[in-house]
Amino acid sequence: MGVIKGVLKEELKNSLRMKKSYEQELARLPKGSMIKKKIKGRDYYYLLLREKGKVRFVYKGKIGEEEIKKYGKAKELRAKYRNLLSKVKKQIKYLKGVLRGKESI
Amino acid sequence: MEKNQYDICLKVLRRMEKQGILKDILLIGSWCVYFYDDYFTGLNYTPSIRTRDVDFLVPLPLKIKRKVDIPDLLKDLGFVIDFLGTKGYIRLQHPELIVEFLVPERGKGSDKPYPLPDLGINAQPLRFLDFLIQNIIEVKFKGITIKLPHPAAFALQKLMVFQRRTKNEKAERERNQAFMILDFILKKRADNDLKRIFNSMHKKWQDKILKVLSSFKQDQVIEILRGMV
Repeated sequence: MGVIKGVLKEELKNSLRMKKSYEQELARLPKGSMIKKKIKGRDYYYLLLREKGKVRFVYKGKIGEEEIKKYGKAKELRAKYRNLLSKVKKQIKYLKGVLRGKESI
Repeated sequence: MEKNQYDICLKVLRRMEKQGILKDILLIGSWCVYFYDDYFTGLNYTPSIRTRDVDFLVPLPLKIKRKVDIPDLLKDLGFVIDFLGTKGYIRLQHPELIVEFLVPERGKGSDKPYPLPDLGINAQPLRFLDFLIQNIIEVKFKGITIKLPHPAAFALQKLMVFQRRTKNEKAERERNQAFMILDFILKKRADNDLKRIFNSMHKKWQDKILKVLSSFKQDQVIEILRGMV
């Protein structure tokens, strides 16, 4: 029994570290999503942000390919990390439940 | 193995193989017990419990000639870097898998991570790993060739290191793994391999192993190692 409990404790410790890592990575990603608006036939970019529950458009004008890619990549990673963070949180809940949440780790 | 974990593990191995890294590193730790399934075919082999940690042993000097940024290679799978402890050992974390890198510790040893800049990582130096590098087998897993320590080397090395563990549970787990693998080596009748690998060990290590085996009444293994059968 000790071996199984030991593995579960180790995994809980790992999941707690993982939660922190994903939260840090999410905080590091550039905020917002870049959107393109076509005005009078020309492309203009706006950064779409959510601040205190409100949606805000920040005018960026014409921006380079590099920056568009950066925000595109950040959007992909944000979705991935959020999904994985949710998995980690479920693992923590489960492991704490199995260990009855009373064990010190 | 759970399906998600299986898929992620396969993707990691495939990417490493594609980049030409896998042929120069060994998969060690509790996960190689899973991959021994191929070696112990037909013996009703059931791998024991393991954690999410997948350990890769990087032999020194580094044979990998091309630069491959491993964290970058695995980033889009969702792996994030974790710096472990005050020394900052790098681990690549994913909810299904944790990838770590080790190198053999030599000489006086050091508790500092060993930098592997060409791979974009650092590795933890640990004792007795050269012994694993000297005794390698190759297994096929979904078309991927993986290098593993010979099961006999794995078991004998575990019998050495479990005695150095400070956590009882981890020591017990490693000891159980070693005994389980030894049991299957006997079932496979690979006594000669076991004896050959044991004989290649330092006399001091041999004595320590025989002492442990004796205290756990592993008489059949002792007889093989002493050349009585």
